[in-house]
Amino acid sequence: MSTRYETTPVKGGRTDESRAIHGHAAVWQTRLILLVMINVAQLWILSATVEAALAAHYRVLLPLVISSAICWLITLSIIFWWKPVSRRYTSTGYIRNKPE
Amino acid sequence: MSSENSKLSNSIKAVLAEEVSHATSDESDVRAATRPHQHDFPYDRGEEAQVTRREFCNFLAVTSTALFVGAAGFAGKAMLERNRTAQYTPAKIEGAEALVPGSSLNFRYPTEKDTAILVRAADGQYFAYGQKCTHLSCPVYFEREHGRLECPCHEGGFDVQTGNVLYGPPPRPLDRIELEVREGGEVWALGRKAGSDEHSV
Repeated sequence: MSTRYETTPVKGGRTDESRAIHGHAAVWQTRLILLVMINVAQLWILSATVEAALAAHYRVLLPLVISSAICWLITLSIIFWWKPVSRRYTSTGYIRNKPE
Repeated sequence: MSSENSKLSNSIKAVLAEEVSHATSDESDVRAATRPHQHDFPYDRGEEAQVTRREFCNFLAVTSTALFVGAAGFAGKAMLERNRTAQYTPAKIEGAEALVPGSSLNFRYPTEKDTAILVRAADGQYFAYGQKCTHLSCPVYFEREHGRLECPCHEGGFDVQTGNVLYGPPPRPLDRIELEVREGGEVWALGRKAGSDEHSV
């Protein structure tokens, strides 16, 4: 089973290929935004951890470290898993037909 | 004679011009030196300076890892220090007997890492506390005019006689150091008590 790109203009004057390119860029942009948001959250968690450690608030240390670990796991899943679909390969590894 | 002078000045000018040409940036020299190889190894500095989305995503992933490791490290260090069991051996506070009323003295107890402050109140009584503020561990000092311990970082205040918080952000009293006045006016530190149940020293 393979996907074939349409090069003839469809609704809105865009071809399927240009739609795919725009979709690809949108997914990349979304990943980037998500990663930045997670980094900001982790920065806040780190500052809260430092503050709690200095003030000897030991009860909140473990929840803060767990929160940071969850953020890190989400980051890893975005990097290694939530990738945009390849324009050359399908998700099951088949090579798509090249646009004519 | 004049022709010799002009020759000399011309040669000086030539040398200076050569030095100026050598003083130009290394960039141009490198470009000139590598020109024959540009065809085999083409590169563009402008393109090299660009960061792709993929590279930036990878950078964010590395940053995320570093932030997680940092948070875990701080928490681990704090927990290790909490579980550290301090041995309290009586120690003489040097110079305490000469302390005039209404003044303070810094010392270290129970270890060299633990700074503490000894205060002699106006009535002659001695009080000693761990010097770390319970807010963010800044060192507290004795404010003679108002007769209280103050933290300069976030303007926290502690009572000299009890160590309790008078005002400011500190959440609990200072760690108290137990004292004993022995013969000859010598002041000895005997132990250290936490300012609250949560914090153990």
